[in-house]
Amino acid sequence: MVRSRGERLSDIAVYLAMALLALVFLLPILWLLSLALRTQAEVFLGAARFIPEAPTLDNFASVLRDGGFQSYIWNTVKLSALGAAGAVGFAAPAAYAFSRFSFRGKGAMMLGILSVQMVSGLVILIPLYRMLDRLGLLESHFGTTLLYIAAGVPVTIWLLKIAFDTIPQSLDDAAAIDGLSRLESFLLITLPLAAPGLISAFILNLILNWSQFLIPFIMLSADEKWPISVAIFRFAGASSAATTQLLAAACLLAILPALAVFVILQRWILAALMAGAVKD
Amino acid sequence: MASLEIKRIAKTFGAQSVLPGISLEVPDKEFVVILGPSGCGKSTLLRIVAGLEIASAGSVSFGGAPVDHLSPGQRNVAMVFQNYALYPHLSVAANIGFGLRRATLSRKEKRAAVQEIARLLEIESLLDRRPSELSGGQRQRVAMGRAIIRKPAVFLFDEPLSNLDARLRLQMRAEIRALHRKLPTTTLYVTHDQVEAMTMADRVVVMREGRIEQIGTPDEIYCAPQSIFVAQFIGMPAMNIVSARLDRSNSALTIAGERFAMPEFWPDEKALDGEVTLGLRPEHLSLSRTGAGLRANVDQIEPMGSETLVYLYHHGTRLCARTPPETRLASGSEVKLGLNLNRAVLFDPVTQKALYRPNPYESTTGETQWK
Ligand SMILES: Nc1ncnc2c1ncn2[C@@H]1O[C@H](COP(=O)(O)OP(=O)(O)O)[C@@H](O)[C@H]1O
Ligand SMILES: [Mg+2]
Repeated sequence: MVRSRGERLSDIAVYLAMALLALVFLLPILWLLSLALRTQAEVFLGAARFIPEAPTLDNFASVLRDGGFQSYIWNTVKLSALGAAGAVGFAAPAAYAFSRFSFRGKGAMMLGILSVQMVSGLVILIPLYRMLDRLGLLESHFGTTLLYIAAGVPVTIWLLKIAFDTIPQSLDDAAAIDGLSRLESFLLITLPLAAPGLISAFILNLILNWSQFLIPFIMLSADEKWPISVAIFRFAGASSAATTQLLAAACLLAILPALAVFVILQRWILAALMAGAVKD
Repeated sequence: MASLEIKRIAKTFGAQSVLPGISLEVPDKEFVVILGPSGCGKSTLLRIVAGLEIASAGSVSFGGAPVDHLSPGQRNVAMVFQNYALYPHLSVAANIGFGLRRATLSRKEKRAAVQEIARLLEIESLLDRRPSELSGGQRQRVAMGRAIIRKPAVFLFDEPLSNLDARLRLQMRAEIRALHRKLPTTTLYVTHDQVEAMTMADRVVVMREGRIEQIGTPDEIYCAPQSIFVAQFIGMPAMNIVSARLDRSNSALTIAGERFAMPEFWPDEKALDGEVTLGLRPEHLSLSRTGAGLRANVDQIEPMGSETLVYLYHHGTRLCARTPPETRLASGSEVKLGLNLNRAVLFDPVTQKALYRPNPYESTTGETQWK
């Protein structure tokens, strides 16, 4: 195919703009990488030496060997996954009701749920802390997970309602005639067919929870319960320049799983969605 | 096996009254087609019978027992939907066997039942496939398999053929009828396609705006419509409708000044005097270049292969005549229209209801008499 000069020029412009944008996001990560690859001696040179002269993987090795780091990552995995599963689990029946039943005030309720999502966590921080204190749920992963779930449920309801809306109502009718109750039809027909939507919602929650900071920060004061986000923040505040390279390595290692999950599962979601598109 | 009785069923959606109160009895094993323009409430009625929709008033009974309080599953009905509504995530075998989940059968017996249905519908080779891997006609068969496996008391179809192409529709029409002969079951079949109604029904129910316009055999519906609506809704092309004047004392029928002799078997009733509306099927008009009859001008002709349809204007009224295939007439040419009044239907011009209807089963070969 012959392409015109103008087309090629505009392509180049698009690529340039995207490269610039990527650089803005990549720069902090490159800086982290630069620090993480340095020896302690080179850290003191600061920005003057972007590319370390004697790059080393020792920092990664010692972070990975560190029992504390392992525990923080495990806490993050646990809180993120339980929070995401809980959010999907709680949102699914609500989303089904919004998708399938007609009742008074449905539109207003959907908007109400969305507006909850817009309230910043900081605004309700103190009352939330007090409430969980009363309930005796502070300092526990259980209480923290509940808050993760609460934070994820509103947007998840919206996502799942959209997913359920795409499943034809005549399947509900067929299921009813085949003798299924509403609950059975929800579990056996609607949920399996909404699998791509459920998985997308789960992953979105997982990624949001992975970077969750505020909730674990106020809920958990014991070192061994922290997720990685809180741990890094605490160490950054407390540590001297002598451990900067270790902190940088820890940061990179903390981002990695979220990135991997995103890349691997995003392919899966895309495949699932494409399969749905080819069918009718 | 059960008869079906619909008693004064009404349904409103918000302020909109879709069914004002409809009554219908279907004897055991009868195949009834509900025919009506889209939006007239056919699906709503079917869904109320199935239990998918709650009626605002009235009652539905199967075999004399009310089923209004029963869920769709408990009613023992089967339904075939326009879009088939097969479960996309289940195999064909699982789709067909789904309705047996509750049945107290062993796994082996269920598998045998699915096999038997698959054999009946000739889809044995498809049992392991997913619905997305089937053609339209195959999906249709799977949908029917799922419906018949439970041996339902009442069979419900909602426009099951409207997603198929013309050739397949023809074939499936015959197959559904054949299936009904093999497994005679009380059937309510909804369609807006009059060909389906005419070819499949034991009896046709013509619906209009939530009311029953006429119930009858396909022959009655076609030859002896009860209203101008039915006369024009059934038949392709529709029945010709012409204003006329009856003069009892002279036994004459006048159309735009042209006099015709009244068939002597038209009843001697007071209603049959004065202004009437005459209904005649296109096959009961005949064309000639000269001779007696209505003067009309050819508008256009449609050669159909087996026949030629001639559209004409008579004093601003568009008429259609079914003529032999070799008929060729130039548009604008003048012809004479002969009327076979023996087959005519007379309507009241005000109420639009029939005043006189010929007996569809009595052959009247009598020639039209000219004056
Ligand atoms: N769930 C519903 N809510 C509101 N109106 C409805 C609903 N279902 C059907 N209707 C209305 O009832 C009328 C009849 O619909 P339907 O029974 O589907 O007609 P048909 O099957 O004869 O085409 C239509 O005007 C339709 O808009
Ligand atoms: Mg319909």
